[in-house]
Amino acid sequence: MNLSSILLTIINKLDGERTIYAGFHLLRGKRSGQTLQDVEYYGLKPFFGLLPKLRIVTFDEAANRLIELGYIATSDDSLVTVTEKGRLELSILPSYRFYGWDYRGREMIFYGRLTLTVQTMSNIRAGKKSFMPIQKDMNIQTFVKKLLYELPIKNPLFSRQVGEELTIGIIRSEMSDLQKVIFTHRLAGYGLSGWTWDQLAESLKLNPFTIRLMFIESLHMLLTVIESSTDLQLLQKMAADIKVSSYLTESSTKTKRLFDQGMSIEEIATARQLKVSTIEDHFVEMSINNTDFPLQMFVSEEETIAVIAKMNELGTKRLRLLKDEFKSLTYFQLRLILGARTGEGA
Amino acid sequence: MDIHTVLKNKFGFDQFRPGQEQVIQDVLEGKDTIAILPTGTGKSLCYQLPGYVLNGSVLVISPLVALMEDQVANMKRYGEKRVIALNSFLNYTEKKQITANLERYKFIFISPEMLLRKSVKNSIERLNLSLIVVDEAHCISQWGFDFRPDYLHIGEFFAYEGRPPVLALTATADKKVIRDIGHYLNLEEPTLHQYPLDRPNISYTIMDLDSETTKTRWIQQRLLETKGPGIIYVASRRRADDLSSLLQEKGLSIAAYHAGKEQEDRAFIQEQFISGEINWICATNAFGMGIHKIDIRQIIHEHIPQSIAGYIQEVGRAGRDGLQSAATLLYSHEDEGRTRFIIQGDIPTEKEIRHYTSLLQKNIPSDEAAEMAKITATGKRIIDYYLERMYLEEVVRRMEKLVQDKEFQLQTILRLIYSTTCIREMILTFFGESSIIKPESCCSVCGTVDDRWLQGPQVTNLAKRPLNWTERLIELLG
Ligand SMILES: Nc1ncnc2c1ncn2[C@@H]1O[C@H](COP(=O)(O)OP(=O)(O)O)[C@@H](O)[C@H]1O
Ligand SMILES: [Zn+2]
Repeated sequence: MNLSSILLTIINKLDGERTIYAGFHLLRGKRSGQTLQDVEYYGLKPFFGLLPKLRIVTFDEAANRLIELGYIATSDDSLVTVTEKGRLELSILPSYRFYGWDYRGREMIFYGRLTLTVQTMSNIRAGKKSFMPIQKDMNIQTFVKKLLYELPIKNPLFSRQVGEELTIGIIRSEMSDLQKVIFTHRLAGYGLSGWTWDQLAESLKLNPFTIRLMFIESLHMLLTVIESSTDLQLLQKMAADIKVSSYLTESSTKTKRLFDQGMSIEEIATARQLKVSTIEDHFVEMSINNTDFPLQMFVSEEETIAVIAKMNELGTKRLRLLKDEFKSLTYFQLRLILGARTGEGA
Repeated sequence: MDIHTVLKNKFGFDQFRPGQEQVIQDVLEGKDTIAILPTGTGKSLCYQLPGYVLNGSVLVISPLVALMEDQVANMKRYGEKRVIALNSFLNYTEKKQITANLERYKFIFISPEMLLRKSVKNSIERLNLSLIVVDEAHCISQWGFDFRPDYLHIGEFFAYEGRPPVLALTATADKKVIRDIGHYLNLEEPTLHQYPLDRPNISYTIMDLDSETTKTRWIQQRLLETKGPGIIYVASRRRADDLSSLLQEKGLSIAAYHAGKEQEDRAFIQEQFISGEINWICATNAFGMGIHKIDIRQIIHEHIPQSIAGYIQEVGRAGRDGLQSAATLLYSHEDEGRTRFIIQGDIPTEKEIRHYTSLLQKNIPSDEAAEMAKITATGKRIIDYYLERMYLEEVVRRMEKLVQDKEFQLQTILRLIYSTTCIREMILTFFGESSIIKPESCCSVCGTVDDRWLQGPQVTNLAKRPLNWTERLIELLG
């Protein structure tokens, strides 16, 4: 697993209809209308916000590698496609188990809480009351303090109980053996320091970035399992508020509230002192995220069916091509149809 | 009660270390006091002992939460139960409970931002305080190397009627910093105690090498032939990474440390260095505050530091156990320009400040605005403070003054580097000390540095092997 291969998978899904930087914005989790729309149309939720701090140079390196290897090619209008050679490569890549859409980098907060809890338990077990906390973030420290306050941490059996719960979680998550090693070595405790990315890379003979990606994936897998495991009580507490609960941007949420009160797009635009086009973006976002979005208020069912049929026939989701076929529909209407009726929400 | 008896009974020590007795006496007489004592000589005793002699509580203001927690833990370990740390880690209920019962505590540690909260301030003013201590007092001065603007506010707290004496403690401060401490803390004719900054067990060597390549070669050779543990200070994050991996390839046990590393990685490296798992650290000046390791044998600077005070702080991390240690500074002719560039990069220019304020006016969040105006985190801290207090024009002038002052500091350290008189003497004179006894192994100018003790087997990088994951969890949690 590495950034290039993830990028190759993304480009493949984008189906030759976007420039390479759509991948960058996706990985960083940019909450713009365009990116959010892509996520839905092209089934890219797993990769959304996977690397919120990804640097453009790192991204460019990965992209250039794909070009050098001849896996991707860019057309004159900068759209990027996967080549035959790239397709061959894709067929041998393992599948990913990221859930970027749900976690968006927040899995690291969960990890922070977990490391600090483990470090605290480990020190208490060794009879140490003071130690340098591995997490300096105030929110994490406060969270863990509060969490442990309610628990029998002085009981010598309790730390083992924490260990057992974690073991069950790890096994259930079905992370790979390598991921188990990485995961447990990013935890630290009394007399047992954590391993840096470089140290893990050196001893596992892997690229540090690869290790980081594997780690993120293992956290996503663990978090998903924790969510449905009522018997993993402590882990469930640690995972509180980690999963994104509202998939709408803050601004879209406000728009939705006004819409639910019965305001029209124009009225909302006036009330919020925003451009109509911005409010329209919010509606597209709502069409993507809310299964009960009232599409029929904007376009008839017959038109919707016709657009979807055409889209399948042409094998494209490019708006301009669809617009040529349906001159009577606006771009806004087309976007709403695609939002509500394609991707996983459909 | 006689303070010698307290020293023996409460702390189990037979005698005071240099400076402690004099400082304590002044404190007990109710004088405002500034005490400059080298790290590791026992600054905390200077307020702990008076705490037991005087009636009432001692308030200790401390800039670093980690440091504070550490001190509190230490005191508890030695049996003092009436000690508490008030910082933003406490949750609301805890805070309320503690502030309601503050008089129960003999020693109250507090962070500057907590001190200025109204509720906290009120309950502290109701207390019977016998002494206020300002730890790491140099942080109050923008001329210091570790300026923390929130420290400047604490003087405002001291302005009340009938406040107890104030004891300001620090390990390093030149005349300017001392003046700032007195001024900003509103001290009344403070007595100054300055104790030998000299660390006779550290030898100073300064070497002129012609290029980075030569420096790399020298360091490599040195690490292969001499003992650690040690710290190599370099000028940039990039260099820290590069040099560290190069030395790693030679089989040395070393890791890079800088602010660009993830927080957990930094904590892991620090832990490994303290436990002896790693022998060397290759770091930017981000490394060092709050590190308790007494057996550091070598400090190597691979660049020209920004000021003598900063340099001394870094060098002072060596030999806390009192055993022989070596400080080496390598420089080449390109370094002067590079250091100047780094220093000035931190201070916002007029154009940057104006850009920044105009962005703020457009309601752009300050972090983003700073990034867009290309202002560093340190730069932002500084101008945010001033912008709150004075007009833009004045802030701009302040920054220009700051640039001049930093240049002055650079010139001072350059004089040290090109010095033809004893390095130790130069440093001590800079800090206003006059009587100097040169140890046998003094400095490269004296030509007496004897490094033979340093020769010896070095720790090589034993390939770390990961455990099986279940074993690892069992080792951690049982
Ligand atoms: N008079 C003394 N005699 C012996 N040991 C002392 C004396 N005063 C302090 N110490 C010890 O010196 C060590 C350093 O003290 P500390 O206050 O932490 O130093 P600082 O804050 O100056 O770095 C502590 O272990 C302390 O117990
Ligand atoms: Zn000398």
